[in-house]
Amino acid sequence: MEKIKNNAFVKKIGFNRLVLTGVLILMYIAFAILEPTFLKYNRILSALNYAYFLGFLALGVTFVIATGGIDFSIGTVMFCSALIGGQLLTVKGWPMAVALIVSILVGTCFGILNGFMVAYMGMPSFITSMASMLLSKGLGSVFTGTQSVSWPQAAQGGWFRKLVKISVNGTQIPTGLICFIVVAVICAIILNKTKIGRYILCLGSNKEAVRLSGVDVKKWEFLAFVICGTLAGIAAIFFVGAYSTVQPGLGDTYNNDAIASCVMGGTSMSGGLASIGGTFIGVMIISLLQEGILAMGFQKDWQYVITGLIVIVAVYADVRSRQRKN
Amino acid sequence: MGEVILTMKEIDKSFPGVHALDHVNLEIRKGEVHALMGENGAGKSTLMKVLTGIYSKDSGTITYEGKEVEFSNPRDAQDAGIVIVHQELNMMNHLTVAQNIFIGREMMSGKLINDAKMNKEAKKLFDKLNIDIDPTEKMGNLTVGKQQMCEIAKAISHEAKVIIFDEPSAALTESEIEELFKIIRDLRDQGLGIVYISHRMDEIKVITDRVTVMRDGGYVGTLITKDSTKDDIIKMMVGRVIYEDPKTESTVPKDAPVVLKVEHLNAGKMVRDVSFELHKGEILGFSGLMGAGRTETARALFGADPKDGGDIYVNGKKVDIKNPMDAVKCGIGYLSEDRKRFGIVVQKSVAENSTMAALDDYMSGIFINKKKENEVAQKYVQQLKTKTPNVDQLVVNLSGGNQQKVVIAKWLVRNCDILIFDEPTRGIDVGAKSEIYHLMNELVAEGKSIIMISSEMTEVLRMSDRIVVMCEGRKTGEIDIAEATQENIMHAATLRD
Repeated sequence: MEKIKNNAFVKKIGFNRLVLTGVLILMYIAFAILEPTFLKYNRILSALNYAYFLGFLALGVTFVIATGGIDFSIGTVMFCSALIGGQLLTVKGWPMAVALIVSILVGTCFGILNGFMVAYMGMPSFITSMASMLLSKGLGSVFTGTQSVSWPQAAQGGWFRKLVKISVNGTQIPTGLICFIVVAVICAIILNKTKIGRYILCLGSNKEAVRLSGVDVKKWEFLAFVICGTLAGIAAIFFVGAYSTVQPGLGDTYNNDAIASCVMGGTSMSGGLASIGGTFIGVMIISLLQEGILAMGFQKDWQYVITGLIVIVAVYADVRSRQRKN
Repeated sequence: MGEVILTMKEIDKSFPGVHALDHVNLEIRKGEVHALMGENGAGKSTLMKVLTGIYSKDSGTITYEGKEVEFSNPRDAQDAGIVIVHQELNMMNHLTVAQNIFIGREMMSGKLINDAKMNKEAKKLFDKLNIDIDPTEKMGNLTVGKQQMCEIAKAISHEAKVIIFDEPSAALTESEIEELFKIIRDLRDQGLGIVYISHRMDEIKVITDRVTVMRDGGYVGTLITKDSTKDDIIKMMVGRVIYEDPKTESTVPKDAPVVLKVEHLNAGKMVRDVSFELHKGEILGFSGLMGAGRTETARALFGADPKDGGDIYVNGKKVDIKNPMDAVKCGIGYLSEDRKRFGIVVQKSVAENSTMAALDDYMSGIFINKKKENEVAQKYVQQLKTKTPNVDQLVVNLSGGNQQKVVIAKWLVRNCDILIFDEPTRGIDVGAKSEIYHLMNELVAEGKSIIMISSEMTEVLRMSDRIVVMCEGRKTGEIDIAEATQENIMHAATLRD
């Protein structure tokens, strides 16, 4: 076992991520045996629909968790963005491009709000993000008068759907996957190669030591939340790109899925340690899981049960590895 | 000294890759205070953990009250009468003194906890020790010294026959130490065997009857304290004499410019109207007892804590330092007494820690220039002789002395000219200590200036060119090294209002 862990290739990729990839593949094989439609391209496309928006949420919240914080508002913020943008587009008749930008900005605004409360006002993110979850959930509903909003289909001028999927000679091509990969790579670069990523990881590990090094810790912590909020806004576009209708008063469940994806991928809830690659695989596992549960005709609630169990295992693994290090 | 109560013979213990205890002997008699000495990592704590059943021994025998014993956990040892008073106190601040003392064995009336009875019993214990603590007081309201008294009372309440004190004086003031010694002598006279672990040579001479010295997990020997000198003990600990003579005169030229001037600095209760000057190339020692406000002064100066008032001039220019960012911009670096909390990010690499304060200089556009970063980190690893396999090593894996060097590297990479060393050698073993001293001397020779806060008199006398003494938040003395003696420093350090 130790030998495998010390192998150069395994070390580079990360043992946990390899195990996770193995889990993903095994899960797929299991689903394919139990439900042969999983071998079909359409089934995979359907699973990926879930992965895009969940992916952006999870990438965003990875930054926040890396600081040692948490954001429980991402799912409802995504819905709030989609509702406000959609309302402006369909009811107020604003141009598509503007509606899309507004959607993203709504997310950014919530990121700014969360970041300000946590970094500059010193409030615990657990509570602030719970408050902004309520805020975003309520505001989205209020803005649409508790009506659901339908973003236009591709044929009715919904060109943004091309971000998610394009059809070439009748074959569907998941452009959303490409977008997700591109953004994930950008996030990985930000986290590992730039100053903001460096300081986010360091302050997640020991904020006071970083502050006493003369670093503006408030700014970097703030920015982590802004990145998270903005990505939740982008997630909204991919959500309405894959599905059509946004209903007010929903979105909370996606917080859990996104946070579960991160934790599963090896991002530590106590901060300082984050893996974009791990988050990526985590997102794929959760997406496959929810598609599999639905496809096999189980109640959706089983997905929650399994996700919950996975989170327990992942967090326990993190806690154990930390104990061993000490 | 009475008959032998405890004998540990040929105790051997290995951990993977480390021979932690190599046939160690220890003999404790009734009515003696027995010092256990050695550098950090010599195996003192491991030996005590074997004794109290936290670790099991590989070989050797423990004889206690004439019978061979092997405790399987601290509870067993406690029940048999062997109790440790820990260095870090395990107290629950929100509970009362009595509740703390009787934690885990609360006195009951039926199904309910009988606080009144516990208060009465605790009072009896304190009376026995001749100390005045209210059992109903919340633990958190007591000073560290008083908390330690409670810990001792707790030990006594276990009918202890052997009490182990693990660096008991580390956090105490001079007068609290006196009180502690009085209690230890009382316990000794009652016929208890006392094991006293400490680094403070002066205390060893004052309080102990015999000294057992350990080095690198091995047993070096046992001395009778009154028949041996400090140098004898130190020689056994390190295998060589390392303490240099105190500095006799300042090495700073008379006309050296003032690089830092602090006037009427006030911050909370612990920093009251403190003024001083620091010259180029000078080591300015800050001496004083625990709680004198030296760290608080440094933190206020550095902008780590808010100030109530006062002016700061760097190189003759008045500066406004509101936070550490401002201080660093002025070229001030602060090396905290608590490295792990305030100095380094232990889960990050040597390289990442080295450039922490100066990352802007190691960027290519928006990206961190990893190559340049590694180069500068490597440069300082070599210059400071930091022992690390490579600069990608996580700092958590380094020893205390090497962690300190990483913190020093951080400020050197930032090119700070004024360095505040707060207890620079705390928790660092003797060998690494002299390296740190050497380094500080090199730094001032290069024209940097150092404020050194230290609670070790030998360190203050050995390193400083000038000494500022503080007591209870005020500056109570400023002594040139040429005139400084232990006596006049201690005199100033106890000058209360």
